Amino acid sequence: MGQLRLLMQVAFRNLFTSKINILIGGIIFFGTLLVVVGGALLDSMDSAMSRSIIGSVAGHLQVYSDDSKEELSLYGGMGGEPDLAVLDDFSRIKPFLEKHPNVKTVVPMGTSGALISSGNTVDLTLARLRDLYKKRAEEGESPALRANIDSVKSHVRQMVSLMEEQRNKSRELLSSAAVDPQEAEALARARTDAFWDTFENDPFAALEFLENRIAPQLPDGDLLDMRYVGTDLDSFQRTFDRMEIVDGQPVPQGKRGMLLSKFYYENFLKLKTALRLDNIKQEKDLNQKRIDADPQLQRWVKENQTQTREILFQLDPIKTRQAVERLQKVLGNQEPSLEKLLSEFLTTTDDNFDTRYQQFYAELAPLLDLYRMRMGDNLTITAFTRTGYVQSVNVKIYGTYQFKGLEKSAMAGVINLMDLMSFRELYGYLSPDRKAEIAELQKNSGLKAVDRANAEDALFGEESGNSLVAEATPGLIEDAKAFEGALGALRRDDLAARVYSQQEIEQGVALSAAIILKDPEQLQQTMEELKQSATAAGLKLRVVSWQQAAGLIGQFVLMAKLVLYFAVFIIFIVALVIINNAMMMATLQRVREVGTMRAIGAQRSFILSMVLVETVLLGFVFGAGGALLGSGIMSALGSAGIPAGNEALYFFFSGPRLYPSLSAGNLIAAFVIVLLVSAISTLYPAFLATRVSPLQAMQTDE
Amino acid sequence: MNAAVAQSPIVSITNVTKDYTLGKVVVPALRGVDLQVHPGEFISIAGPSGSGKTTLLNLIGCVDTATSGVVSVAGQDTKQLTERQLTHLRLHTIGFIFQSFNLVSVLSVFQNVEFPLLLQRKLDKNQRKERVNQLLEQVGLADHAKHRPNELSGGQRQRVAVARALVTRPQLVLADEPTANLDSVTGQNIIDLMKELNQKEGTTFIFSTHDAKVMSHANAVVRLADGKFLDRLTPSEAKRAMAAGAEGH
Ligand SMILES: Nc1ncnc2c1ncn2[C@@H]1O[C@H](COP(=O)(O)OP(=O)(O)OP(=O)(O)O)[C@@H](O)[C@H]1O
Ligand SMILES: [Mg+2]
Repeated sequence: MGQLRLLMQVAFRNLFTSKINILIGGIIFFGTLLVVVGGALLDSMDSAMSRSIIGSVAGHLQVYSDDSKEELSLYGGMGGEPDLAVLDDFSRIKPFLEKHPNVKTVVPMGTSGALISSGNTVDLTLARLRDLYKKRAEEGESPALRANIDSVKSHVRQMVSLMEEQRNKSRELLSSAAVDPQEAEALARARTDAFWDTFENDPFAALEFLENRIAPQLPDGDLLDMRYVGTDLDSFQRTFDRMEIVDGQPVPQGKRGMLLSKFYYENFLKLKTALRLDNIKQEKDLNQKRIDADPQLQRWVKENQTQTREILFQLDPIKTRQAVERLQKVLGNQEPSLEKLLSEFLTTTDDNFDTRYQQFYAELAPLLDLYRMRMGDNLTITAFTRTGYVQSVNVKIYGTYQFKGLEKSAMAGVINLMDLMSFRELYGYLSPDRKAEIAELQKNSGLKAVDRANAEDALFGEESGNSLVAEATPGLIEDAKAFEGALGALRRDDLAARVYSQQEIEQGVALSAAIILKDPEQLQQTMEELKQSATAAGLKLRVVSWQQAAGLIGQFVLMAKLVLYFAVFIIFIVALVIINNAMMMATLQRVREVGTMRAIGAQRSFILSMVLVETVLLGFVFGAGGALLGSGIMSALGSAGIPAGNEALYFFFSGPRLYPSLSAGNLIAAFVIVLLVSAISTLYPAFLATRVSPLQAMQTDE
Repeated sequence: MNAAVAQSPIVSITNVTKDYTLGKVVVPALRGVDLQVHPGEFISIAGPSGSGKTTLLNLIGCVDTATSGVVSVAGQDTKQLTERQLTHLRLHTIGFIFQSFNLVSVLSVFQNVEFPLLLQRKLDKNQRKERVNQLLEQVGLADHAKHRPNELSGGQRQRVAVARALVTRPQLVLADEPTANLDSVTGQNIIDLMKELNQKEGTTFIFSTHDAKVMSHANAVVRLADGKFLDRLTPSEAKRAMAAGAEGH
């Protein structure tokens, strides 16, 4: 008792008198700080991310077939979609899962992806013109139709002249050898008045010429990767209550249809010029960036100046004239070329950006289609089924949605939602009944079958691997007839109107099912119990946590933790070596004192405890200091929040800011680590101290 | 004095040698020394530098072991004892006074004196307090109990060391040149203090010194030369012998 107090006193006084101890203390202080702050941040990020993952698509648990060749990865894996076996009949699995007392809801799902191509503008406009001529052939010419034809025709003519202009421009850059003379010849012919004067004589021949010789000269439209989750949309929306509709409306209950992610819609389907303006505005407003200082903003401005083609091609002659007039007024000059006007208008600086941004949306936007797809449009997705043949499905876009707090997250934003029926059809897993029904509906609507050759060309030309390809027919919803011509897509109005019962939706294939638990705390236990009862019931099911289901993303924080712990490990190894050396020096400095104690009658064990008590106290005092400062920092961060500067972080922060919190576990872990490290690093010096001979008390220090 | 001689000796040294090996060279520090010290004696060990005084005191103090011969302290042959037992013997039987005081710098005067009592674990807190204060009173440092060693003069520090050596009431106190780091007046005071305690408590003292004045307080001066026992004289004889030795040079 008295001895211990003495040891504590010796240790405590040595603590602040020895410089070496201050050094060791400093290391321990920062080590603890790092463990506390780093650990708490990662834990908070982990739970924020878990909220993101659980609250978007994963739910707490995911169930999928045990026959799957690969593991479920909801956000996609390294090599595209994982190879999963299907759950044959969701309606059999659902009641089984719902029997467990901790299961709240079960939502069927399937994740897949396709490449969608927007087609090129000339192609699409020509298709529209062909449809109009076809209509005229069937129904005869009315004044309205004539006006419509003339308008589209002049739009095409304008496109041809734009193409020639661009061709002349690029000729200045390329050597003449690179220019295909046949292309030039075709373009020259399409530019002649003679061609357009005789157009009406045989419009279909003229169209064919344009389709075959002119349209291919324009580079293709973008190919976009599109991921979709097929699900029971109604149940999905009820279960994942962070989901909210932004544009349009929810898919009516039981109907086929899609909800695009707002993020996807904005970032991939919006007119590029407008998107870049939005991005610049956001960087300026939110992140206080300046065009004159930031290379990224400068690049966007440059791209807006030079890449005006998308706008130029979109405007027909009437709208072109309107745009020219408006821009002349805004810019206060008489420049007749729209391209030059646009380029000048989009030359934005820090001074004029806000006005130009506002003018763009007020003056130009009404003339333009800002998005390549609109609410109510039909999207034709052509894809390989599981058995390898091409399947093409038309899905109506009802609206866009987002997850609250994850609006800006690219990760959550790549998921577009689709009804389960369309998903099954695309995946090639419709029941025979359904297939028969669809065949019947198709026959009734009297349409020709899919032009497979055309679709396959697109597929095989692209080398898209395991892939699925889709073709979009943007902006054409108003005149429904237009679909027929457009690359042979199916029109299925009847199918789109069909309302499926809940039973029909549930009876059939799903790839996985999300489970929401009543008590998330019991996740591990419920997972084990579900696994066991599935085995007992002879259902071949794999039950995984949201973390596993999220694939690589789910492992992200785990990996970050490993990195942190590795860093901590390294730091503490270094600390171990430094503390060890420092303690050796301290011991050497105190040889006479230790010798004296030994001479006076202190046993070796006393010396050992003296050194150990000293380090443990050292660890305790400085560790507590570090932990205290760490807690201070965390509580400050906890109330202020850490802004997610980068949009990728939104997902990991589960919103625009992370409000981290410190758990007792973090503190205890930090303390245990620190005390362990300081104790271990003192073992050898302490041992050395016990070997000091009492004779060394007699040495006079020189 | 003569009564003390009648008792069994507290230190008995028989034909003791001590060799130090420096690499391949063997340095004989003691070459067959015999010495008997009886309880209550106040003995000074004298001899020229290198004659083996420190070596002899280390053997008696059980901090070193003899190469041959028997060293027995308080009736125990130190060769037969383990490290732990030797430490135990030092704690309970022997007190040390060092040439350079050797106080624990981070502890107060009181705590330094209390230190051996804490190691002994024999007395409770109040008893310890009483004993320490009594000793501090005796060495005249009662007012300095709360001071740190670096706040004291050399003489005061050595008094603390004396108090620390005596606080456990050891049978034997060893002091290797206790006055060497002090001026002669202060040194004199320390010897007076030791002598006083020797007479009051009956504690046996063995100390080494080069100082003839210091020697004069002893009841016997044991002279060493070249690692050998030379003679055992009274202080006055020793004074004369040393004066003669000095003349001889
Ligand atoms: N640790 C040691 N290693 C080797 N030789 C030693 C050691 N200690 C003492 N010696 C040698 O032993 C002999 C006796 O030394 P010791 O220290 O006992 O003499 P001393 O009488 O105390 O001398 P001084 O009056 O100078 O203190 C000397 O020759 C010395 O060199
Ligand atoms: Mg000596």
